[in-house]
Amino acid sequence: MVGTNLTQVLCDSDFCNTGWPTILTHLSPFGWASMGIAFTLSLSIVGAAWGIFVTGSSIMGAAIKAPRIRSKNLVSVIFCEATAIYGVIMAIILMGKMEDPPASDKIEVYEWTTAYFAGYALFTAGIGVGLTNLASGVSVGIAGSSCALADAQNGSLFVKILIVEIFASALGIFGIIVGIIQSNMAAFPTPP
Amino acid sequence: MPYVVPLSGGDITSFNVHNGFPEALVRGFRSSFLTEYDYNNLTQCENLDDVRLNLQETDYDQFLSSQTKVTPALIQEKATTKLVKEFNYLKAQAQEPLVTFMEYIQYEYMIENVMLLLKGTLSGRNVEELIAQCHPLGLFAPSTMKLIPMFEASPKGYMDLYQTVLIDTPIGDYFSRFLEEHKPSGHDSAGGDDANIVRNVLEEVEIEIIKNSLMKLYLEDFHRFCKKVGGDTAIVMCELLEARADRNAINITLNSFNGPLNEPHMRSTDRRRLYPAIGQLYPEATSDFTDVSDEAALAAVLEPYPVYREIWAVHMNESFGNKSIDDAFYERDVEMLELSFEGQMHFAPFYAYIKLKEQEIRNLVWISECIVQRQRDEINKFIPLFTDSAPWKVARRAAR
Repeated sequence: MVGTNLTQVLCDSDFCNTGWPTILTHLSPFGWASMGIAFTLSLSIVGAAWGIFVTGSSIMGAAIKAPRIRSKNLVSVIFCEATAIYGVIMAIILMGKMEDPPASDKIEVYEWTTAYFAGYALFTAGIGVGLTNLASGVSVGIAGSSCALADAQNGSLFVKILIVEIFASALGIFGIIVGIIQSNMAAFPTPP
Repeated sequence: MPYVVPLSGGDITSFNVHNGFPEALVRGFRSSFLTEYDYNNLTQCENLDDVRLNLQETDYDQFLSSQTKVTPALIQEKATTKLVKEFNYLKAQAQEPLVTFMEYIQYEYMIENVMLLLKGTLSGRNVEELIAQCHPLGLFAPSTMKLIPMFEASPKGYMDLYQTVLIDTPIGDYFSRFLEEHKPSGHDSAGGDDANIVRNVLEEVEIEIIKNSLMKLYLEDFHRFCKKVGGDTAIVMCELLEARADRNAINITLNSFNGPLNEPHMRSTDRRRLYPAIGQLYPEATSDFTDVSDEAALAAVLEPYPVYREIWAVHMNESFGNKSIDDAFYERDVEMLELSFEGQMHFAPFYAYIKLKEQEIRNLVWISECIVQRQRDEINKFIPLFTDSAPWKVARRAAR
């Protein structure tokens, strides 16, 4: 398999492990990349959904005595939804970098180093975007809940608390910027 | 899969799952309190029909529309009905543990109602009349309500009252604990003795002492529940309940000065048993209260506690400042209850809403009574809520 400077071989089979590093190297880079895509999508959506339910229940309750807040406060829900969209965008970008794996007779001549780099880059870009969107979604949701309740009591507070939400949703943008730059460098070699 | 609701209300990330909607509802109700502008209009009314007209502009809307003659008692009854409707609406939208929390709020009124029914029956009043006077928030099943006034003053009657009625009510636990405390030593719990104990207690112990004991047990139980719920609810509610426990302890001591509880041997047993086991004054000051038999000694015990020292100073200056110790306690309570609305994602606003709405109903009744009796000078002696420029708030800020 990869690399020839293996330490003492303890068994003869082709499938033996030779140490801890092989746990990482024996996970296929295509597996790393696919998991990255899954994480970016699912964690972003968990964050967005969390934020939406936190803010949605408060908007519904507060709108009973103060119906005027109904339409304005849907902006909070839109901010939460934006984090889900970042996740979808990132997932599509990452999917574009995937290539087919080499055929079984071409394994020896495939450029595994580049493939491993691409696999790790896509995985961490995905995790990075997913976790930042999770945090951003929850944060926007809680701020949006307070925004709805404050707006119901005093209409002039809405715009001021919205600024808090804007900063919270900026966190998701940081994540996707770094993720896009990181995944830019990743490129699976075309199968020989 | 069985659905297990967590006992705690949740922190800021998970509170809104079960309690977001009810909390938003109660905050909507908060905006329905009468404002300074409304109180100004009301105090300038000439008669109660004007009051009704002015109330139509507020959240009270048409609550008196079907009545021909308006009286202060009617205003109180209809306003309380509106409050109870709002409370039941909130409770219907709530989930555990908020439902249990709201039931704890109701237990206080249940204790009052049971005491009213027992007292009324012992002095031989009509069942229907008594039930009509009960506070609507503290009603239990109508069958139980009817049974309480109907017990006979015989051993079997008391036994029935205890076993079927008092134990089955949600406050039955407090009754059994109260009777445990008052069991004279040397009795064991044989069946016949229980009936005698019940009879002894109900005949010999004054109704006021029964009520104070039940309130003490209720406050301790509520405090324990809030601690179990944890989070911000525990922090805010426990402070509110401790303030109430301290207020009760001071009032019991103050009111006992002219009565039998002030005897030295009664002070350390009977009177001491009435102080709740929560609060700033517990345990040191409440054990010092056993040596207190007059106002000077009470002032000395309260000296190390700045809040109560201030309130006691108001009591001392009663003839100058025209405010009684009750007013001082009310103001402190209202300030704390208003502040409990400040934090989000805890249960205290539900408790505070009920208490503050009751204060508003008291204000309305005071204003109506002053109008009816033509006492224009006294009319401004109510406590307006959620207004920063109210005279009592300004005075408190200046005093700090």
